[in-house]
Amino acid sequence: MEFFKTSNIKFMKYKYLAFVLSGIVIALGIISYISKDGFIYGIDFSGGTLVELAFKEDTTVADIRSKLAKVGLGDSLIQRFGERNEFLIKTQRISEKKFEEERMEDHERMAKLIVDIMRTEKEEQELKKGKIDLNNSNEIRIAKIVENYLNDRKRASEIAKKIIEYRNGRMGLITNYDELYNLRLDGKIVEGIKKDSFLGSFTTLGVEIVGPQIGKDLRKKATLAIIWALLGMLVYIALRFKIQYGIAGVITLFHDTLVTLAFISFFNKEISLNVVAALLTIVGYSINDTIVIFDRVRDNLKSMKKHNFEEILNNSINQTLSRTIITSGVVFVTVVILYLFGGEIINGFAFTMIVGVITGSYSTIYQSCSIVYLWEKYLRKKRFK
Amino acid sequence: MWKWILIAIVVIGTGFLTFPPKQKIKLGLDLKGGMHLVLKVETNDALNMETDHQILRIQDLFKEKIIKYSSIKKLGVSSFEIEGIDSSQEDEIKNILDQYFIDWDYSIFSNVVRLSMRLNIATQIRDQSVSQAIETIRNRVDEFGVAEPVIQRQGMGGERILVQLPGVSDPDRVKAIIKSTALLEWKLVVAGPAPSEEALLKDFGGVVPGDADVVRGDPRKGVEGFYLLKKVAAVTGKDIRNARRSTDEFNQPVVSFTLSSAAGKIFEKVTSQNIGKPLAIVLDNKVISAPTIQATIRDQGIITGRFSIEEVDDLSLVLRSGSLPASIKYLEERTVGPSLGIDSIRKGLTSYLIALVLVILFMIIYYKAAGVNAFVALIFNMIILLGVMSYFKATLTLPGIAGIILTVGMAVDANVLIFERIREDLRLGKTVRAAIASGFSKAFVTILDSNITTIIAAVFLFQFGTGPVKGFAVTLIIGIVASMFTAVFVSRNIFELIISKRRKIEKLSI
Repeated sequence: MEFFKTSNIKFMKYKYLAFVLSGIVIALGIISYISKDGFIYGIDFSGGTLVELAFKEDTTVADIRSKLAKVGLGDSLIQRFGERNEFLIKTQRISEKKFEEERMEDHERMAKLIVDIMRTEKEEQELKKGKIDLNNSNEIRIAKIVENYLNDRKRASEIAKKIIEYRNGRMGLITNYDELYNLRLDGKIVEGIKKDSFLGSFTTLGVEIVGPQIGKDLRKKATLAIIWALLGMLVYIALRFKIQYGIAGVITLFHDTLVTLAFISFFNKEISLNVVAALLTIVGYSINDTIVIFDRVRDNLKSMKKHNFEEILNNSINQTLSRTIITSGVVFVTVVILYLFGGEIINGFAFTMIVGVITGSYSTIYQSCSIVYLWEKYLRKKRFK
Repeated sequence: MWKWILIAIVVIGTGFLTFPPKQKIKLGLDLKGGMHLVLKVETNDALNMETDHQILRIQDLFKEKIIKYSSIKKLGVSSFEIEGIDSSQEDEIKNILDQYFIDWDYSIFSNVVRLSMRLNIATQIRDQSVSQAIETIRNRVDEFGVAEPVIQRQGMGGERILVQLPGVSDPDRVKAIIKSTALLEWKLVVAGPAPSEEALLKDFGGVVPGDADVVRGDPRKGVEGFYLLKKVAAVTGKDIRNARRSTDEFNQPVVSFTLSSAAGKIFEKVTSQNIGKPLAIVLDNKVISAPTIQATIRDQGIITGRFSIEEVDDLSLVLRSGSLPASIKYLEERTVGPSLGIDSIRKGLTSYLIALVLVILFMIIYYKAAGVNAFVALIFNMIILLGVMSYFKATLTLPGIAGIILTVGMAVDANVLIFERIREDLRLGKTVRAAIASGFSKAFVTILDSNITTIIAAVFLFQFGTGPVKGFAVTLIIGIVASMFTAVFVSRNIFELIISKRRKIEKLSI
């Protein structure tokens, strides 16, 4: 099977159109960036508190918001994810104080507050009676109640471990006490656990608190990493090819980064550490295509001496077209799979990669080659004069 | 033949390294669950303490050598000045400073001596306080019994410490134990307790005296109000040699401690001179109790306060493991429940398998028999990747899994480049043998170039990244290197094996 046996597309003909198209996308990106008051940063960069909860029953964002409003946190960012009732609550504000001046202890207290406010009245009453929440208790506490019905500390902690393991496998939630029989527990013990505990309506999957200093540092580090990576590419390509190829390659990468960021802004995606990782990967990946074509150009410059530079470029792009499409296609497929099946945490990464892969292939042809073409043309004219 | 032996060694060897995968592949906190903490050591505290100590020392020296001065004022964390000296004693002062304060720079103008700690000494103290903090935290974590903790300094000479505790079942308690500075100090009470600062300072004209500080009581320990305490601690927790739980005469849990002999002597001096006066026990800058000194205490005593048994145990633990040389601030703390990680692994594995099947199917459909070659390369690639990760004890994180999935896509690029070149050369009418040879050699340069750039980016990513992202960079780098080996070396040998079997080949399934 072959897609492009002998293609002969005059790519270079459309270079100005491509410049305009890229210009428009980037300009729209800048407009979007300004009108949306910058990017939405993930907790790693913005700092703040993030609580992840999974509920047993159907819950809506509105339900959670109304509960949070009771403690003045109604303006938190609430995101639903997963096919289950999983929610992500992110908040920066604690008080009237500026975020930078707040202490971690305050955030810690707030994280606890968020969890506490989610409890139903009935659960509160059960807690007051001294029962424990089986869906939110650790091994030690579960072991303690098991011990009430089994005078064997070692066995009790083994049973607690078993229960926790089972709970972990079920996304942290036990919905029915009968499930405990699956663990081949003694009826007496299950009854005992039933008496001294209740099944909470939700579980805390994770709590993250990032101080303002870390966020600031990471933002700086991320920017520096991208700049250094671009410079690294420039040096490498300049060494392997000519300087104009290096500069064209880096301008292309810069273009790719901007276009990807524009799409992140269009789709209101969050900039997280993973997204930065994706941006850097794109920087490394997108240059691949460029190098493959430049390599061909270098070959063809030797073998096609009679042709003009535009023809050589067109030829090189056509010769490598098959490979460009297949490789980007395969990488595209893998990132789409990641996007669809990888889960919420990796979603931002996958989205960024999808945009980056498409942009990378397009820009290799229309930015790198066009810039090199214009540059060479300018040099030749100068020499001619 | 040797080539096949090499391939077999690499693949079987790395496969062996990975076995059994459950033990050999180290999972990151985001997959295993646990706590991730970033702390900052407030190194200024250590400098402050050292400066206070030196002020005390100079006071003693001046007293001993009968040198007059009116007051000593602290200027910053590592400088102070002595005011109102007698200029006729200038030479004597210089002598003392030259002899006893070699770590300090001094200047004298008219009747003021200004001392500041040498920069390299200050840096050294800061540095030491961080290493000491790491040591202390490690002791505490070890005593608490956390398996495979990570406790390390972030960056060169930084003030930050990264603590990772996998699978902690009681995060709140562990956090409290690490965090508790356990900066334990015994300080003489100047005045107090008083319900407010104003009331406390009434006798002092509303101004805090130079040698004292206002310290709050800890209401949770039943100590209310404000105290005026001597600035310089008589003894600190640093001097504690041992601490354990015991009970006082009211059968309340207390911490009983033993001091080092040097500190015992100081304690003896202070307590004997102040019998009948209150001595405040200050924990992390809060008064936890202020008992009256009944008798001279030498090197053994108890710490009272309204403690629960658990609190006494925790306090003994932190005192035993040494107090932190400076207070600690939390900059970042993340607790990941294990169920989230299990879910992530499941999703990652699903995505990986789907990607693998689709990519292999495509390669076989598009390149026919040669596609099988890519299939072998991909499987080998995965074995080598996991083996190398196990060998280097690299951590697999969720972004790391994404990196592996991405290498499935990227690794075939090398195969594609080679196959396309071979096809081109076949089209030009070259023989199968020649096409394979030239395809590999021509594509090799391109593969090298394009992979090196990805590695450059990944290296910067590694430099920048925190835990999970680092994991991504690692899998990407190893994956790419492995893919070069499999696509170029393994794949070439497969081709050669096929052509060597038959003498004449006119067609290649590609």
